[in-house]
Formats: sequence, C-alpha cells, structure tokens
Amino acid sequence: MIPDWMNQTEAGSYHGAASEAKKKGFAKKTVDGVLGFFQESLISEAFAKRKGLLQSLDPRVKLISMFVLVVGVTFMTSPWVLLVIYLLTLVLAYFSKIEVLWFVKRVWVFIPIFAGVIVIPILFNVFLAGDVLVPIATLGNGSHLGPIALPSSIYITRQGTTYVVTFILRVAACVSLAILLFLTTQRDLLFKSMRTLYVPKVYVLTISMCYRYIFLLLDTIADLFTARRSRQIVSLPLREEQRWVGGRVGYMLVKSLDMSDKVHEAMISRGFNGDVKLMHDNVMHHRDYVAIVTVLACCVILALISRSIISI
Amino acid sequence: MQTIFDLQNVSHSYLDKFEALKNINLTMTAGEQITIIGANGSGKSTLLLILDALIYATSGEVYAFGNPVTEERFNALEDNEFARYFRTKVGFVFQNPDVQLFSSTVFDEIAFGPLQLGLPREEVIKRTEEVITMLALSNLRDRAPHTLSGGERKKVCIASILSINPDVLLLDEPTGGLDPRTQLWLTELLQDLAKAGKTIITATHDMNIVEQISTRSIVFGEDHTIRADSSSTEVMNDHELLLSANLIHEHMHWHGELLHEHLHPSEGEHHHEQ
Repeated sequence: MIPDWMNQTEAGSYHGAASEAKKKGFAKKTVDGVLGFFQESLISEAFAKRKGLLQSLDPRVKLISMFVLVVGVTFMTSPWVLLVIYLLTLVLAYFSKIEVLWFVKRVWVFIPIFAGVIVIPILFNVFLAGDVLVPIATLGNGSHLGPIALPSSIYITRQGTTYVVTFILRVAACVSLAILLFLTTQRDLLFKSMRTLYVPKVYVLTISMCYRYIFLLLDTIADLFTARRSRQIVSLPLREEQRWVGGRVGYMLVKSLDMSDKVHEAMISRGFNGDVKLMHDNVMHHRDYVAIVTVLACCVILALISRSIISI
Repeated sequence: MQTIFDLQNVSHSYLDKFEALKNINLTMTAGEQITIIGANGSGKSTLLLILDALIYATSGEVYAFGNPVTEERFNALEDNEFARYFRTKVGFVFQNPDVQLFSSTVFDEIAFGPLQLGLPREEVIKRTEEVITMLALSNLRDRAPHTLSGGERKKVCIASILSINPDVLLLDEPTGGLDPRTQLWLTELLQDLAKAGKTIITATHDMNIVEQISTRSIVFGEDHTIRADSSSTEVMNDHELLLSANLIHEHMHWHGELLHEHLHPSEGEHHHEQ
C-alpha cells in the first residue's frame, strides 16, 4: 500500500531562486579525484602503446637502466651534469612520442611539493653559512627567534643556492626517469620485469593485484560518493560529514577484506597453492643490449665528470 | 556412468549461526547437465562452493571422484596429489567477475590456471591462444580487466576456466547482468560444452535458461533443503513446486514457452485461467 503522502505529486516548472556554488563539495571533489585517476591511467596506458624509442626496449632493460641512472644521479654533485641528465630525459621523452611540455609539467608538479619545501630553508645563512648572494634583512646583534639565535643579517648564500639547485635538479632528473619508465612501459610488463631485480615472485604478484584492485575499489568509492550526492539536499555540518566519511572508510575496509577472501578462493579454485608461477615472455634484441651498455657507460662517465675525476 | 560428486547428509552454516544448507543428499554423475535452482539465499552458491572444495560441510560427508573432500586434504599451502587432480578436473566460474579477474591482462588471466597446474610453458601459451581464438577474445588479449564491459568480463572468466580444460564446470548465476546477445552466446557455449561430454552444474534463478542448459534440475527451497530433483522439463512444468520455492510468482509465469507477466491490483479477488 502506498501511504497518502506518496500519492501527492507536484512535478512542474521551478520558478524560485537558484544559487551557484563557488566551491565544490567534498563529495564532488572526491568523485572528480577518482575520475582524474582513471583518466591519468588511461593516458599513461596510451603512451605505453605508442611506437617510440623507450617503448621499443625490453622492459627489463628499461627498469635496470632507469635504476642505474637513478643511483648514478644520486652520486653526481655537479649541477651542470645533472642538468645534462635532466635534458637527456626530455630528449628521451621526445623520441618516445611523449609531449615534452606535458611531460615537463607533470614532473614539475611534484618538485615544489616534495623537494622545494624541504630545501628552501638551506638557501638562507640561518641554516647554512656562506657567501652573500642576495641580502634579505639586517637584524642586528643578539636577535632571537624563540630559542634560536639569529645572525645579525639574513641573506641568501651562494653555497646554499648551489646546494638547492643541485638538489632540485637531482630530484627532477630522478622523478623524470621514474615517470618515463612508468609512461613507456605497460603495467603488467613493468611489474613482471621487477623479477630481474630479484624481487620475489609473491611481491610481484601482490603489486600487480594491488594495482588491478585499486581501480575496482576506487570505482566503488566513486559510486558511494555519487549516490550520496544524488540524495543530498542540504549540506550537513562538518562533523556529520566526517562521521559519514569515517563510516565509508570502515565499509570499504570490510568490503576489501571480503573481496580478498573471495579472490583467494578464486585463485585456489584454479590451482594456486601458494607457489606463484608467472609468465615471462620477453626476448632481448640487439637494441636492448646497445641501450643498456650505452646507459651504463654514460652513467659512469657522467659520475666521473661530476666528481672531477675526469675532465672535458 | 562414473559418480563425480556424492553428498551424504550435508549441512553447512556460516559462523555456526546462519544455516545455508540442510541435510543435502545428492549424487552427480559424469556428463550430466544440472541446474541448481532456488530463490535468493536458498543455498545454491554455498553448494557450488562446497562442490569446488572452497568451503566444507559443517556436517555430513562429501565425496568427489570417489575420494572424501575434507579441509585437511585441500590445505592450500601444501601440494597434494588429489587436490591437484581435483583442481584440474573441476572449474568454477564465479558470480562476480571482479573476484575472478585478478591478473593484469586478459592473456595472463587465461594463462593463470594452466601455469599453476604446472603445464610446460609452450603448452600454456598454446592453450591460452586457442581459448582466446575459440571465444573470439583476440581484440581483448592485452587489455586490463577494469577496461572490459560486463559481457567481456564474463567471457574472460569462462575462458580462464576453459584453459584448464576441466571435465566439470560449476557456474554461479552465469547470465546475471548479461545483455540478451551475450546470454544467447553463453547458452550456446554451454550446449556445445555439454556435447563435448563436460559435466555442467549451473546455479541460477533465471528460469529462461533452465531447459536450454540442463536435463536435470535440483530445486532448493527457502528452508535450504532440496525440494525436488528430477528432469528439467518436469520441474519447469510443476507450477506448484516453482511457486512454493519462490521461483515464480502467481502473476509472473509461463504459459508453455511464453513468459507471461501482468500488473494487477494487490487487493481483491483475482483469477487466473491455466
């Protein structure tokens, strides 16, 4: 039986006021974030399928080369050598059919967040003594910031600037290499190639399964937030919103545990007995050997130049 | 005919509280096509999980291929000859494709089963390629599971089981959420597999496919017991049985081959002519 109030309908044109929200609600932001992740992953997969320089190399060669380069970069102290490596990543991006401007933007999004904030204080003589490059302020003798004694004048040092530039270039080169590897290699091949670095099979399987189920769980989260938006008439107080999010976090935890049990059952049903067996289908070509020898040689030469052991 | 599954007084309850199966006695023989039909929560999926030795009877005895099926014999972390034989012979298509598709690509998914069963690498590749061709999945070969549609996921699930070449196929609600074309494709595939001598056991409450994919039907009541076990035609013609098992509603039923559905006021007298 339909109750009386449900029999009342008033579908018609709305002539009241309508305000436009200046800020997105948290539900909309979450859904947009999830969709952004899906979009990013699709773009990355599309790059990996292009016929470019890095895409043509064996994923194991790429992984080892990038690993060697990242380790090499950490030993390089000359900002000029680091700049060369960074520019080299742009050249590799260009020949791998990745839009260079897009690639640069993607890399430099991370730099201020992860590197800039950490090293900016080193610019000043408060943290690292050195020669004056840019004077900032004169405080006079005996100045304090809380318990910390400050020098009589504050300035940006030459040594600090060199350190910061070197550090940021090093991070930029490493992040560029990592992103290049990720963009030019299909995920499944990338995960499998980790076996060449003696990563145990069970970790390789776990990582690839984690990556696969991130999409499923994010999809569920997007559905939860979309369903909430569809029924939300007024904004709730912050505490109520937080309580709802907390509840959904718990729900997702229970759901993911339940899913993991079922996935395990599906694996057992197909003969999985704890001993992981993976398919390796990669074949090394001449270009792969050339690539790895070139990378190793470049890395050693640049490291030696950077340490002034050899000069050009 | 060889007996494949023999269940004697099998009961199962979850957390010792929620009864899912009660006193089940069943024998299933090689080459049979069986549907297990029942309303939601009647115990169909639980029975399939027991038949695939993924959960175990809380009381009663289960035999598969003449051997007792117990938790000790199927300890997942130890290699056991009977468990290996069993996994080669029995394949399970889960209701939710996302549970079953855990590999990075369609190819890896289909190759997973044969690889775990220790087949040589060349044989694994050959089987995988042949199953891909058989089910026309070539265009999905390198796709990730999350990029597939519902119908494509179901096809890959079935492919991932067929590559093991099991003699017994267990399917849990295989037509759920599929569009009509994919449903028809699946029905025809199951008919072809039946002709090839496979034993096919399907849990469903989709009455449209029962007679097309099975010759024997086991009806579960909402009290988790077996209400009937006879030929699919007999079961589908037993109006009272289907009504009492909540498989049809008085106002949604078949007249011969035709599904008949109509709206009616929920109050007052109402008659149906058979």
